[in-house]
Amino acid sequence: MAVDKISYVIIGGSAAGMAAAQAIREQDPNGIITVLSEEPDMPYFRPLIPYMVTGKKSAGDMQLSGNGPYNGSGIDIHTNSRVDSVNVAEGTVSVKDQENVSYDKLLLTTGSRPYIPPEIEGTDANGVFALRTLADARAMAERVSVTDHAVMLGGGLLNLKAAFALLERGVKVTLVVYSPEVLSQLMESDDAWLIRNALDRAGLKIETGCSATGILSDKRGVTGVTLDNGSEMPCQMVCIGKGVRPNVEFLSGSEIIIDQGVVVDRYTTCSTPDTYAAGDVAVTFDPVTSERIVTGLWTNAVEMGRCAGYNMAGRKTAYSGTFGIMNATQIADEPFVSMGIVHTNNTDYEVHVRANGSTYRKVVFSPDGDRLVGVLFVGNITGAGMYRYVIRENMPISEMKSLIINQRLHYGYFMRS
Amino acid sequence: MSQPKEIFVVMSRCTACKSCEIACAVEHSKSKNLYGAISERPVPKSRVYVEWVSPDGKVPIVCRHCEDAPCMHACISGAISRNDEGVVLTDSDKCIGCWTCVMVCPYGVIGRHLEEHKAYRCDRCPDRETPACVSSCPTQALIYQTVDSFSRDVRKDVSGEMLAGEGG
Repeated sequence: MAVDKISYVIIGGSAAGMAAAQAIREQDPNGIITVLSEEPDMPYFRPLIPYMVTGKKSAGDMQLSGNGPYNGSGIDIHTNSRVDSVNVAEGTVSVKDQENVSYDKLLLTTGSRPYIPPEIEGTDANGVFALRTLADARAMAERVSVTDHAVMLGGGLLNLKAAFALLERGVKVTLVVYSPEVLSQLMESDDAWLIRNALDRAGLKIETGCSATGILSDKRGVTGVTLDNGSEMPCQMVCIGKGVRPNVEFLSGSEIIIDQGVVVDRYTTCSTPDTYAAGDVAVTFDPVTSERIVTGLWTNAVEMGRCAGYNMAGRKTAYSGTFGIMNATQIADEPFVSMGIVHTNNTDYEVHVRANGSTYRKVVFSPDGDRLVGVLFVGNITGAGMYRYVIRENMPISEMKSLIINQRLHYGYFMRS
Repeated sequence: MSQPKEIFVVMSRCTACKSCEIACAVEHSKSKNLYGAISERPVPKSRVYVEWVSPDGKVPIVCRHCEDAPCMHACISGAISRNDEGVVLTDSDKCIGCWTCVMVCPYGVIGRHLEEHKAYRCDRCPDRETPACVSSCPTQALIYQTVDSFSRDVRKDVSGEMLAGEGG
């Protein structure tokens, strides 16, 4: 007896979409999986794009399919396929300049795009970038040949990565940050000194407490940036890293409920039948603060995408949410991990800091001292995953407390107790 | 083919002699012998960790090669994958040292190779029949078996103890 194959359509071919495709294939060997991506490139590991600027990796080195866990077969990926709208009643999506695509199950994983502050004038000039796609990285790499000095607007992780890629290419780089310190989303100024020292050692120039008002340009592109303190900086490249916004515009007019991002329940299901969402475009929740959040992290997007994929293929799976703050990386020669609640100025959280010349480890407990709610490790990040586990599981930490404060927690504790 | 083997830990047998740590580091050295390994730079790293829990617990901790491996899915560069034997492996060439795997591994068994700026982890000793940590353990606190045969042995032990208890 013939069984109808389920048609799964995924809008967006990055972390969440491809993780979902893989998860669907694991559950349903026969379903038809179609991924619609507006990008010209086949899916790739987006966090690797700074290596396109440095020249250390080619586009081929960043390919997603066939690497890591992405070995599913029969996943039909359409590039240059931008979805204009979704018709939930008919179960179809409209693709720009192409025929409509019909679906049984639809996944929205359109991600987010860089926020370009409208108050900055001249952002459409040649040489202004917001590093998001492989295409952006290619264009940026090309612009390097005519760039002596680049100005980065915004002190977040993405801009720091871009800044280091440019430094590696021999470009002088100035970071303009409105906050008193870099990485203000991930740590407080008082906690950032090790990172700041590393940035200084690496030769990055940083201007804090000011922001750009306009970008100057001529025929050949960017010539400078004007700042709100009245100064002007000559430069040939500007990179804007002022956060991201979910790509939800194509859903206006559909019945799918949007509130900042696409609203989903714990099973990644939207307000309409057979519709799911995951990744940067979806509104999720933080198990520590219980707040509704929209995140922009590869790792989160994969986890949520897999969850959505399982749900679409009939294996009901609850998404356990993610910390609003969660990131690990290495900036210059300093590794760090920041997760959970790490902003503690003027709060009544119980905070313990252990620091020396090369490491800084801050642990944050709930005001009653009975739950671990956040950690920031700089320099030595050993065992960070166990602390994440303790935070996420909301464990009572009474007996573990001194181990946590002194950073001597290890998994053996959970095995013996 | 039969079920793949796993490394099991029998905590009551561990004396914290750390033979497993030494054997692991030697196996992952260039010279593959202790004399050569101790003079190698960078110093060869162990992927197994013997920890102590108050008051007198000794616990060898090894990578579980989790069925739902968080490190593999979290990796932002596609460096971590599972081979046909079920072993989760990190490809050093693809690893960019972002430490996302360190951030998500609940067991804390992914190390950071600072000299090479790469993450490292248990690879179940691909060149050996039995992993070096298991072969080196003098008290058989580490056992390399399939899940089925390990649980059969546990059942045998337990039923033996119960029968002895009834007889006495």
